Amino acid sequence: MKNKNVFGFLMNPFTRIAGWQAFGLGLFFVVLMGLLGAYSDIAFDGVIDMHMIDISLLQSFLYLGIDLVCLVVVMWITGLIVSTNFRFIDILGTMTLAKAPFLLLSIAGFFTATPDLSEIYKNPYIIFQSVSFVILIALSIPVIIWSITLIYNAFKISCDIKGSKLTVAFIIALLVSEALSKVLIYLFV
Amino acid sequence: MLPTYCPSCHAQLKVECLKCESCGTEVNGSYDLPVLALLSEDDQQFILRFVKNSGSLKEMASQMKLSYPTVRNLLNDIIHKINSYETSL
Repeated sequence: MKNKNVFGFLMNPFTRIAGWQAFGLGLFFVVLMGLLGAYSDIAFDGVIDMHMIDISLLQSFLYLGIDLVCLVVVMWITGLIVSTNFRFIDILGTMTLAKAPFLLLSIAGFFTATPDLSEIYKNPYIIFQSVSFVILIALSIPVIIWSITLIYNAFKISCDIKGSKLTVAFIIALLVSEALSKVLIYLFV
Repeated sequence: MLPTYCPSCHAQLKVECLKCESCGTEVNGSYDLPVLALLSEDDQQFILRFVKNSGSLKEMASQMKLSYPTVRNLLNDIIHKINSYETSL
């Protein structure tokens, strides 16, 4: 029963935490992600995206800043279209906290050996020879699913939308925010 | 908790008789239940809490250990139920 409660809280902490409290906690995780990501060569170059590349501290924070701004702004605009009664601070706070699972990948990056890119171009299957890299890829799948679940619950609770309206609005908003973040990162970083 | 629906066919119940416990007078008729009485016990408790907190959702959120939007969503659900009860009357 207790495990079920913990799992429920990890999947949807927003019934208890939202607004400024969620924003403060989320910002702490995001800053930590940016710092660790810069040193473990993990770049969050998209709202729900991660790649293992050599990046500077500035790049790491620029990527995360663009991700967060795109996610918050797109979800907020979507909220304005489909909902009437919600606060911007709830969107900002819950969306920031929803990025927290990616911290696991920043940490995992320290234990991952990056395969040589030129070698990968010659033979893509070489990546399977790096066990740590395969583990990182395997870990990234549940982490991304966890983060998407959090973004979904953040949107649902912040904007009070239900049913098919929620599902359709969420899918469109997530895809738009991912595409927008990719374009902005490509143009400005 | 006041029963509001028929245990046999689940139709909405009406008040047929009210009795004065002081003199024993009975008032008979067919009266609709107040809309608030149709809400669940949890919803009624929520409304009581809302009134006692002077309508402050922030205060309620801290008392109930829930986030502000969660409490606001609970209120929205109750408003939606009240609206649907009123239109069905």
